[in-house]
Amino acid sequence: MEQPALTISGYSLDYLTPRGVHHALVDIDLAIARGEVLGLVGESGSGKTSLAWSIMRYLPGNARENGGRILLGRDDLRAMAPAAIEEIRGRRIGMVFQDPSTSLNPTLSLGIQLAEVLERHRGLTRRQAWREGEQMLARVGLKDPPGMMRRYPHEASGGEKQRVVIAQAFACQPECILFDEPTTALDVITARQILELFAELQAETGVASLYISHDLALVSRVADRVAVLHHGNMVEQGQVAGVFGAPREAYTRRLVAAVPRPDRRLVAELGPAEAAAAPLVAARGVSVEYGRPSAIARLFGRDRAPVVGNRAVSLDVRPGEIVGVVGESGSGKSTLARALTGLNPFSGEIVFDGRPVRGIADMDGAYRRDVQIIFQHPDSSLNPRQRIGEILARPLRLHDRLPGAAEAARIGELLEQVRLPATYAGRYPHQLSGGEKQRVAIARAFATAPRLVICDEITSALDVSVQAAVIELLLDLRRRHGTAYLFITHDLNLVRQIAHRIAVMYRGDLVEVLDAQAFSAGPTHPYTRSLVAAVPVPVG
Amino acid sequence: MTDLISRLARTPQGAAGLALVGLVLLVVVFGPLLAPYDPEAMAPLLRYKGPSLVHLLGTDQYGRDILSRLLVGARATVVMAVLATLLGTLVGALLGTASAFLGGRADEAIMRTVDAVMSIPSLLFALLIVNLLGKSGLNALLAIGIAFAPGMARVARSVALAVRKQDYVNAAIARGEGGFHIVVREMLPNVVAPIIVETTIRVAFAVMLFATLSFLGLGAQPPAPEWGLMVAEARKYLNLSPWMLIWPSIAIAIVAIGFNLLGDGLRDALNPRT
Repeated sequence: MEQPALTISGYSLDYLTPRGVHHALVDIDLAIARGEVLGLVGESGSGKTSLAWSIMRYLPGNARENGGRILLGRDDLRAMAPAAIEEIRGRRIGMVFQDPSTSLNPTLSLGIQLAEVLERHRGLTRRQAWREGEQMLARVGLKDPPGMMRRYPHEASGGEKQRVVIAQAFACQPECILFDEPTTALDVITARQILELFAELQAETGVASLYISHDLALVSRVADRVAVLHHGNMVEQGQVAGVFGAPREAYTRRLVAAVPRPDRRLVAELGPAEAAAAPLVAARGVSVEYGRPSAIARLFGRDRAPVVGNRAVSLDVRPGEIVGVVGESGSGKSTLARALTGLNPFSGEIVFDGRPVRGIADMDGAYRRDVQIIFQHPDSSLNPRQRIGEILARPLRLHDRLPGAAEAARIGELLEQVRLPATYAGRYPHQLSGGEKQRVAIARAFATAPRLVICDEITSALDVSVQAAVIELLLDLRRRHGTAYLFITHDLNLVRQIAHRIAVMYRGDLVEVLDAQAFSAGPTHPYTRSLVAAVPVPVG
Repeated sequence: MTDLISRLARTPQGAAGLALVGLVLLVVVFGPLLAPYDPEAMAPLLRYKGPSLVHLLGTDQYGRDILSRLLVGARATVVMAVLATLLGTLVGALLGTASAFLGGRADEAIMRTVDAVMSIPSLLFALLIVNLLGKSGLNALLAIGIAFAPGMARVARSVALAVRKQDYVNAAIARGEGGFHIVVREMLPNVVAPIIVETTIRVAFAVMLFATLSFLGLGAQPPAPEWGLMVAEARKYLNLSPWMLIWPSIAIAIVAIGFNLLGDGLRDALNPRT
């Protein structure tokens, strides 16, 4: 049998932390042949990125390796001197990072960063490297390569930057390239194009790729074989269709089951009476503009076109209804949420339960009580210096003013309602896991028995299995309290599972609002169609 | 808290700062009990004495025991400096955090005013205030507190601007909290770490500023055993006994260095990334 491009056998890695030894990787075995793509999936903290860095031989000071071998071709990387490793990095192993905006140096032009790799590893002169670089940029599908070489990272879009990073990784025709979530920071449509480029380059160069991702659907699209990592252990490894279609291990089965599938609806459809009910909240021509002209600009009468967040958005939510809002980043989804909760000044009108609200000043206690928002990152939405009990007590004190003992009992109830033990009231947010923190944020939103809860990408920072549990909890709370949700997300598969109606936004405009059935039947607007086409089909 | 102290003791400057400040605090608390003589008892026959076994640090121009005066005077000097710094910190932190919270024109107005006050050197500013309010220890304390506030406001605002963008502040606005609650309960606790560091370093400045004010005759008044005042009085008798000048100067230096090192150590200990 031919020697695989990359072989890892019996590799273990520990981190020494002040709280003891953390086993990051335990007895890992894997091999990637030339021209093969191995998908590495696992939840956050499973050791995916640690594995990438140990292949790169760039580990933090508190890492301890406990045996095992990492072979690149026939060379043992662990036995190599640092100088030899430097020769290998970029030359024989390339790496593509998650966020192209942080993996490129903002003070150097794209051309210099690309040419540097070629000069360093292939011994070209600056002039040769520059020419070669232009060819590489043309190869990765960038228009006007000579112009792109002279641009700085901030002058290129996210997708263009990621193409440059990919060109860098492929520049020296390495034997192996590590992709660490290369499309996670990009929009769906851009991500789709990057994946197509990746497939082309992969077929052309025959490089061995390790493709790290938390997105099972994505991996099933790009990878030949897949390895599942859980708490540093290799759970299962095999052909994509086999592992995802008929998982052998319980963990893989749970992981696959948690992936949202648009054909499996999780909510009951609205009855005719509910569907015809008067809207609970109706946005009428809500527009948001960002930025104000500076005093000097006003003085000289210079006009500056403001940045548009929302352009005359009109949207209804009926009592108990789940309305999904989808769109790329920057499409104005969150801006709409911020306008509805009074975090942004807006023009236009919001009609809530028959009462008109024309500005932030009109949002009285009753409105604040009935409309709640849950944010994307629980780390940022829970004050790190307050205990959970204190965090949950604030909305109660603001709206209900219960006596001390009743308040403590109510906090316990709120925690149990989101399936957390009542004893968590005495803890600080950093003592909880990401999913538990998001549950606390949900409990806080439900403390005032609201009628509309705006969920702003609340599951996108969570692992897929945690996401499934949080969604299940939200639907359970809706059944109990009859709450309406405005569910903002970029995950089309998820929103098709739970939303009664789906609103599509693009660059500040509301493109169209469709019933879930109509959405499945085939959207009419060309933008919605391209969005649906770009989403990977779920596995299994 | 104990975790913080053990982290602090791990760095050399933190350990040294902790030891020096601990020593100073012991003197502040127990100084009057340890003093061998009455700090104001005069002895005409024992004037200008150098260090000896009877008077460990010697005596001054009235024959008063310098060691006793230093031990008793620690309270006036160090406690006043700490209080003045705390006053400046409190005013500055509230102002800076509120300014970051309000944003827009209010932020501009507050910060430009702060800039204007900051452009006056703090010693000059303190002199101005003491001259306006009259000579006394309390007025010197107020003067130094006010002189310190603008600098603290700048530090607090720079941190608070980042805190302002956090979603827990948005969540508080969205549920209809008042501005005072958001500044004091949601934002201030998250701004506190860098402010503590700045405060400890500024205590050292305050000790020196107090000494300077007393030296110029605008702070504590004789016969108080305040250290700055002791240096000011000893200046006239330098040719007769240099020890009168050296000992209080060393005491002031120890406090200043101790708090400075403690501040450096705290900066590292409170930063979780190091």
